[in-house]
Amino acid sequence: MENFELLMGGFATALTPMHITLMIVGVLLGLIVGVLPGLGAPNGVSLLIPLTFAMDPVSAIILLASMYWGALFGGSTTSILFNIPGEPSSVATTFDGYPMARSGQSTRALTLAFMSAGIGAFVGIVVITLLSSWAARFALRFGAAEYFAVYFLAFCAFIGMGSASPIKTAVSLSLGLLLSTVGMDTVTGSLRLTFGLDALLSGVSFLVVVIGLFGIGELLATVQDGLKFRGVASRIDPRDVFKTMLELPKYITTIIRSSAVGVWMGITPGGPTAASFMSYGLARQWSKPGAKFGTGRPEGIVAPETADHSAGTCAMLPMLALGVPSSATAAVMMGGLMIWGLTPGPMLFSTQPDFVWGLIASMYIANFVGVILVLLTVPFFAALLRIPFAIIGPMIVAICFVGAYTVANSTSDLWLVLIFGVVGFVFNKLEFPLAPLVLAMVLGSKAESSFHQSMIASDGSLGIFFSNYLVGTIMTIALALLIIPQTLKFIQYLKSHKSVDSAA
Amino acid sequence: MRIKRLHVELATAVTLAAVGALGATGALELGVSWSDSGPMPGYFPFYVGIILIIAAFASATQAIFRMRMGSEEMRETFLEPEQTQRVLSFLLPMVVFVVVTVFLGTYIGTALYLFYVAWRNGGYKPWIAILIGIAFSIALYFVFEKAFQVPLHKGPIEEMLGIY
Repeated sequence: MENFELLMGGFATALTPMHITLMIVGVLLGLIVGVLPGLGAPNGVSLLIPLTFAMDPVSAIILLASMYWGALFGGSTTSILFNIPGEPSSVATTFDGYPMARSGQSTRALTLAFMSAGIGAFVGIVVITLLSSWAARFALRFGAAEYFAVYFLAFCAFIGMGSASPIKTAVSLSLGLLLSTVGMDTVTGSLRLTFGLDALLSGVSFLVVVIGLFGIGELLATVQDGLKFRGVASRIDPRDVFKTMLELPKYITTIIRSSAVGVWMGITPGGPTAASFMSYGLARQWSKPGAKFGTGRPEGIVAPETADHSAGTCAMLPMLALGVPSSATAAVMMGGLMIWGLTPGPMLFSTQPDFVWGLIASMYIANFVGVILVLLTVPFFAALLRIPFAIIGPMIVAICFVGAYTVANSTSDLWLVLIFGVVGFVFNKLEFPLAPLVLAMVLGSKAESSFHQSMIASDGSLGIFFSNYLVGTIMTIALALLIIPQTLKFIQYLKSHKSVDSAA
Repeated sequence: MRIKRLHVELATAVTLAAVGALGATGALELGVSWSDSGPMPGYFPFYVGIILIIAAFASATQAIFRMRMGSEEMRETFLEPEQTQRVLSFLLPMVVFVVVTVFLGTYIGTALYLFYVAWRNGGYKPWIAILIGIAFSIALYFVFEKAFQVPLHKGPIEEMLGIY
């Protein structure tokens, strides 16, 4: 009940004309960012952060979070109408969304996607509302060693549970950690790895890196195959919208299963992309017989969309309560929080209740606003993709570079964006995951200082990480996540090898 | 010669290992051992650099291993000539855009960049392309300098025009 009162207080903060305007602006910006290739949620949020420096943190986070929800909706729109996923997490939506739209049911496909996304997000926010105080209270028992263990757990979970190759994930993580050590050391105050370059004195900003990796890198990936937008008519027929809404209860089991997957993958660092694929796979396995998946089956839209949005919202829980983001966008937002002078983590709940509960309340409203706005504006946003790429492409590029400049008013950051743009392109082609790199950059200095503090407390003995049940358990889970999936894969490999041998 | 995916995998791994080595040697100068107050400043970057080197080599080994196992993916051409041309026709104007922006300022750079791409890649008439570039620069000015009061990078020409 205590949470309920706090939530009501949050609604009082969120339901001001100013904040509602910010939500609408945020959702609309997010839709643009989600629809346009090369601009995704992580770098959309990165571009917006420098503009929020002057705002108060509650307004700023409401704007950024609303943009995230808008980007999630926008990504599904292009998946369905153009067969181009605007966001990595909406790839699974193309499988059945585009075929359904092509068969002349684009309104039905879009409505299914937006409604299930809205429901998924709602489930995610309810989970946050119920769990956040408890999670924060639990985290108050954490000392430096426990924090390091949690960061370590996050890194290991990426390696063990991520969809990319574990070795390549390890490469991305360590590259991110190394980049985070450039510049002033937060513990000892000494300058590190600047190699005499003035530009590196203040470190490598993760915002600049995100803009390069996700913005320029993704654009280069888009142009390499040439752009062919074979769009489907995007007019929305209100009668079809209502008909489709009445259809939704039929998919209740799919919705429940998919939101459970989404909630789980959102809280653990699986992230929305993995959640949407997993949920699609499960829906295909468990579905009743009927039309084949991949030909425009409704469950094939409902499942990934529900999971995508519930994971996207749930990713905010570990970020707020523990200071460990579980998706690239949440990592960027957490970086923003630190720039505004807030410390994400359990103390946030006691020192800044307005901020936390204002944000949670705004998530209810913004997602509701999002569903309505997206239904109203889909034809307009779909038209954006009909602008020739020779015009919209350079505009996106210019916005990315301008955004990177505003981070620190430094022209050397423009070169960094260019370098990381090429890095992002190559990493994309070679299937190195980008999210772990961003996460490592944001968490790097925190992981290092908690490691440092634990080492001081223990006089340099690593035993401190197994000195009590709490930290020991977290460390054990982390190591298990690191080792068990690899061992299983190895055993499987040996088995398949043996059977081949015996067959021969 | 066609550049196969394997070649790029190996080149990337070597580059990443070099970055790791650069980090580790840079950290050596700061001291990587223990002092009275715990690990020295170079401790963390040093070991992260070492891990990066190991991971990069593991990634290279994996790529070679998969090639040996007959993986088709590794034999694929990294970029077809047509793709290379598309990427370069997008990337090169972008590089020039950055150079121009650094020396002449954001607004001039942006207007020229949009003009060039719309004209050369988009096949627009030059005067329409110029209008697109100028209109977008003006829009940037109003959004950033006026609405959000965030100053963008300016060069000599902007100064001449009295834009601050």
